Amino acid sequence: MKLIQTIFDKSRRHFEKNGKLAFLFPFYDATETFFFIPGHTTRSDSHIRDSLDVKRYMSFVIVALMPPFIFGIYNAGYQSNLFSGKSLDLIPVFLCGLALVLPIVAVSYLVGFFWETTFASIRNHPISEGFLVTGLLFPLTLPPTIPLWQVAVGISFGVVIGKEIFGGTGRNILNPALTGRAFLFFAYPGNMSGDPVWVAVSKAKEVVVDTVSSATPLAVSKLVESGDRIESVLSNMDYSFFTLLMGRYPGSIGATSALLCFVGAGLLVFVGVASFRIIVGGIVGVLSMGLLLNLLAGESTAAWFSLNPLYHLVMGGSAFGIAYMATDPVSAPGMNASRWIYGFCIGGLTVLIRVFNPAFPEGIMLAILFMNLFSPLLDYFVIKFKLKKRIVNV
Amino acid sequence: MENLISIFLNSVFVGNILLAYFLGMCSFVAISKNMETSIGLGFAVVFVLSITAPVNWLIYTYLLSPGALAWVGLPTVDLSYLKFITFIAVIAAMVQAVEMVIDRFSPALYNALGVFLPLITVNCAILGTSLFMVEREYTFMESLVFGIGSGTGWLLAIVSMAAIRIKLRYADVPEGLQGFGITMIVTGLMAMGFMLFSGITL
Repeated sequence: MKLIQTIFDKSRRHFEKNGKLAFLFPFYDATETFFFIPGHTTRSDSHIRDSLDVKRYMSFVIVALMPPFIFGIYNAGYQSNLFSGKSLDLIPVFLCGLALVLPIVAVSYLVGFFWETTFASIRNHPISEGFLVTGLLFPLTLPPTIPLWQVAVGISFGVVIGKEIFGGTGRNILNPALTGRAFLFFAYPGNMSGDPVWVAVSKAKEVVVDTVSSATPLAVSKLVESGDRIESVLSNMDYSFFTLLMGRYPGSIGATSALLCFVGAGLLVFVGVASFRIIVGGIVGVLSMGLLLNLLAGESTAAWFSLNPLYHLVMGGSAFGIAYMATDPVSAPGMNASRWIYGFCIGGLTVLIRVFNPAFPEGIMLAILFMNLFSPLLDYFVIKFKLKKRIVNV
Repeated sequence: MENLISIFLNSVFVGNILLAYFLGMCSFVAISKNMETSIGLGFAVVFVLSITAPVNWLIYTYLLSPGALAWVGLPTVDLSYLKFITFIAVIAAMVQAVEMVIDRFSPALYNALGVFLPLITVNCAILGTSLFMVEREYTFMESLVFGIGSGTGWLLAIVSMAAIRIKLRYADVPEGLQGFGITMIVTGLMAMGFMLFSGITL
């Protein structure tokens, strides 16, 4: 540790004002604070500085993302080996998954880091750890077969248009990772949705199949005809409730395991990063909208209507979105009352899009982006309402 | 009934007059700086739209469209080339009425809206709605719902934009993008968010 400290102390003069490498100061600053607690002192009037600064804050999110990330590697490998007819033992599956997922994460980090440092050096703001979260969240929402150049395009759009032009971390209005994903979704729908994208089949010669059409549970449910039960069709395809909860089915890399997402969400709430109001609101939103549709279900309505609401929670990306995306403290509202509404609307809209919109199988991404747009408005009205109450009390 | 709900949802979200067709941008960008005036102008647009769309429908169907004058014994007359000037005249008259009402009941809002209130007359969103209504061959009820829906969509867009611009006061936007630049980018991002119901069929 002493050694590292001396290296930093010795090279500091090059990066400070008038030094040779002054334009790289944000980079130096980021590397130093990665190793040591920043020595900043408060300059303005007295206020309390919480030790939970942006760096620790974002580290907690990274830690909470680890379970779905590691499971995502396993699942991508498992699905690939399953459909290519290879060994399903733990080690080969993991190796296959690593080969699939690591390049995507690496490209996301490299390209995102390039934009972050470019903007930081030119605009002279510190490199923020918020990017570490975006750079990991983004690949976890992608299908494992995504071409790497599209990962680069998506993360570029997310970081630059979604965040940097607003001034960097903490100033954006939309979640950057989701902005990038939505951009890819609309720009290259063939690589982001449809049946063949969810499983990466190895192109080895002895394998006869070229692409495997492996429908996600959501895509399967979409095709169930009215009168049939989605639950029974799903379990015929080996998607039992337990499988869906555990997450061993084709889907976005990190978003399949609802159980692990809720574990991560619990951790985030426990360390005080995520707001439990948004998470609970989201779950209640999904369940109550599902129940409402159950009440409306009749003979002629689509099979979606009579689906057990719990299935909405464990299928697809809704758990991942509610746990990690909706709780993003920057794009979510700041008032407690508006957080409840925000979470509830995300859950409800997700189910509505799934059931009523034939164009999109999954609704959580656009539901969160849509509510991101309205979170300042929710805050505005909640504050206004509170002020009104206060004046009455006076 | 389902048809009407579908038209309403379509005009609020998918075919949002502002975010999908980019009509009514000038007042949207200029007024959304302030929350109170945005709400006021938004409701004024909803009101004007929900009156002009059905009134223009009546005028077009019974006076202007090809063969509409059959009821006075002139079945071959086609006055549809007059639709632009007629629609604008109706809109201008409606806006005058709204202006007088607002001046009477809320002078503060009247002053805040300033020139943009009479400018609703030439707000492309209003004329665009009437023209879309003709082009899509809506019935009377459909055009009423379409007018209300387009207005509501415009209101939602301007109000959320006003709130976002309050939040943007704390943003550190690059110099070249400040003001209109960032507003246009946010409008584009909003358009992406509003795609959530695209492709919906009821």
